[in-house]
Amino acid sequence: MGAVCPLALLAAGTEATIADVRAGKGMRLRLAGLGLCPDARVRVQCADRGSLIVSVGDARYALSRGIAMKILVKEAA
Amino acid sequence: MTGIRVALAGNPNVGKTTLFNALTGSRQHVGNWPGVTVEKKTGRINRSGHAIEVIDLPGTYSLTACSADEVVARDYILEERPDVVVQVVDATNLERNLYLTTQIAELGVPVVIALNMADAAEAGGCAIDRERLSALLAIPVVRTVGIRGEGLDDLLDAAVREAETPPHHEHTVGYRNDVEAMIASLVGVLEADKDLAERYPLRWLAARLLEGDENALAKVRESPVSPRVQALLSTIDPDECEAAMADRRYDVIAAVLPQVRTAGARGMNVSEMVDRVVTDRYLGIPIFLALMWGTFELTFAVAAPFVALIEAGLARLSAAVAGSIGPAWLASLVGDGIIGGVGSVLVFVPNIFILFLILSFLEDTGYLARAAFIMDRLMYAIGLPGKAFIPMLIGFGCNVPGIMAARTIEGERDRLITILVNPFISCSARLPVYILFAGAFFGAAAGVVVFLLYVLGIAAAIGSAKLFRHTILPGESSPFIMEMPPYRLPTAGTSLLHTWSRGVMYVRKAGTIILAGALVLWCLASFPFGVEYGSSASLAGALGHLLEPLVAPLGFDWKIAVALLFGFVAKEVVVGSLGVLYGAGEEGDALSTAFLADPGLSAATALALMVFVLLYTPCLATIATIRKETGSWKWAGFSVAYGLVLAWLLALIVGRIAPSFIGGA
Ligand SMILES: Nc1nc2c(ncn2[C@@H]2O[C@H](COP(=O)(O)OP(=O)(O)O)[C@@H](O)[C@H]2O)c(=O)[nH]1
Repeated sequence: MGAVCPLALLAAGTEATIADVRAGKGMRLRLAGLGLCPDARVRVQCADRGSLIVSVGDARYALSRGIAMKILVKEAA
Repeated sequence: MTGIRVALAGNPNVGKTTLFNALTGSRQHVGNWPGVTVEKKTGRINRSGHAIEVIDLPGTYSLTACSADEVVARDYILEERPDVVVQVVDATNLERNLYLTTQIAELGVPVVIALNMADAAEAGGCAIDRERLSALLAIPVVRTVGIRGEGLDDLLDAAVREAETPPHHEHTVGYRNDVEAMIASLVGVLEADKDLAERYPLRWLAARLLEGDENALAKVRESPVSPRVQALLSTIDPDECEAAMADRRYDVIAAVLPQVRTAGARGMNVSEMVDRVVTDRYLGIPIFLALMWGTFELTFAVAAPFVALIEAGLARLSAAVAGSIGPAWLASLVGDGIIGGVGSVLVFVPNIFILFLILSFLEDTGYLARAAFIMDRLMYAIGLPGKAFIPMLIGFGCNVPGIMAARTIEGERDRLITILVNPFISCSARLPVYILFAGAFFGAAAGVVVFLLYVLGIAAAIGSAKLFRHTILPGESSPFIMEMPPYRLPTAGTSLLHTWSRGVMYVRKAGTIILAGALVLWCLASFPFGVEYGSSASLAGALGHLLEPLVAPLGFDWKIAVALLFGFVAKEVVVGSLGVLYGAGEEGDALSTAFLADPGLSAATALALMVFVLLYTPCLATIATIRKETGSWKWAGFSVAYGLVLAWLLALIVGRIAPSFIGGA
């Protein structure tokens, strides 16, 4: 099990598990509605200097660097 | 006949609109939810003795109170108590969709699931056991395919049945033991307040209180049980409860999914492969630019014959009117005023429709969402989220739908800035002005001049956005999260429907505001009685002379002042007014010749004029839209004033420096 780091730092193609979402309440609830909450498995599909497209389950989202920095993940072993 | 109210809920992009349209056909009413600029659509159906009213709730991912959409959807279900909520679920994305289901079920209303996009799921080799899903959730599940209208009857039957089955057993997620214990104690306390107990499902209220939901806290603040609620809540950490509850919801879903879904062989995902190319760091932007260039090329190429057809039709109509209507003034009113004024807008209808058609197509395929991602970094530099480029793009067609498209932007300030800079995006109504003047004065270089004007418009929008961001609307642009829907081949029906609804908006504008403007213009140009139409002696002439000193520094005379004044109505009217004032009609060639013969008009003045037309005050319809979308005259007024000042300054500068580039005034 890898160390915890912000989602924004992952390279394209990496899979990881969300460890924590360090954002305000509103943003946290909103992310939970999208399936981006602790223990969710995400896959970085495309990374461009911090902006990402990640897939969670069957959904795909574009996230700006600001948010991707607040989502902490553990890289999959 | 009994009345049943059915609320349609669901995530964005699950086919809710398609289903709503299929259910209600043309019997819809579109309005706004009170107090917010969120569209409210309702429709009626009569079915086997039931008058069914269908209410389309905004598409949301969850029912917390974090955005206007969510509050609208949640409050409707809570306060208005629909007889049944139909949740439209995207069968290809069960996990996330069911999260919303758990929240709706908690509200204590009967729920029916419309398992939509069933065709897409099946095509992907994914089989869903609906009976099992229904049994596990204790919610009826009906298979639907919105685009083909499949399953509508079953869906309505299920909805009616649910609405009429009296009490419902709870089918909510069971949380962790300690959370459940807290919920039970809270419910025990809340029950003492009969008022609350009557209005809200207490389990739901207790769960929201545990999460520290502001909206829910406000609901109990006035209650006599409030102190005891506070005492209970002080013992827990709301953030921890919230995380535990979200976690548990997904656990429940994760337990359900494998029992109901046999996933197909998951080959290399096509969407993913396409994404890898179109969002590539290096290829992304060139592909985007190429597509946009193609869009505009196609818009003008395909529309050209239709435009010619409409022009010919209008010309015949004018001729017929001139020949057959008795009193000369009436013939002039109908011919010059109505046909001339409204006609000048109607000739753009083909352009607008085709632009909208292509944009709807790109939107429905899912590409526009990718474009927003590509543009995000660029837009971020301006201080706006990536989504803000879509209103700008539409603005090239017409600013009115462009400004309306800003609704999808979440941050209030981001939305305001996006709205305020939209008028600088050169809409197609300004093009005839450029074509006329650039054609007359710049000959072979006309294309370059027009292109530069578009660039100037974009630069003005960007500069103004930065300026507003640093002055009147400070703050960070709100963080960008956007779903990337899977690529779909849009059906002709959906794209046409989108196009139609946007296009009709434009035509309606031509029919109302511009007609009124054209009539005022005609009166001003014709009165006092007996003067030559549009001459210096008419009211219009007098107004022009009055305004002349204001625009004289820019090199404009009274005729241009009048034309600009009428350009308030709609910018393309500038061409028509000049046609009238120069007595040349709207025939391009005659008017160009008249311009060249006018010693007061130089190439530099023409350039300054085009810059002025590009930037000054948005047209009436746009002003009205800004007023409607921002909810205040203040912003509409600001937009008018800011545009005027900017246009005046830039036209002055351009008029002064242009001669040194284009060789003398
Ligand atoms: N394959 C398939 N596509 C659908 C179905 N229903 C809707 N769509 C498509 O999904 C897209 C989004 O639909 P729309 O009704 O705009 O979704 P909304 O955002 O939930 O209102 C459109 O391109 C529709 O053509 C369906 O049952 N099957």
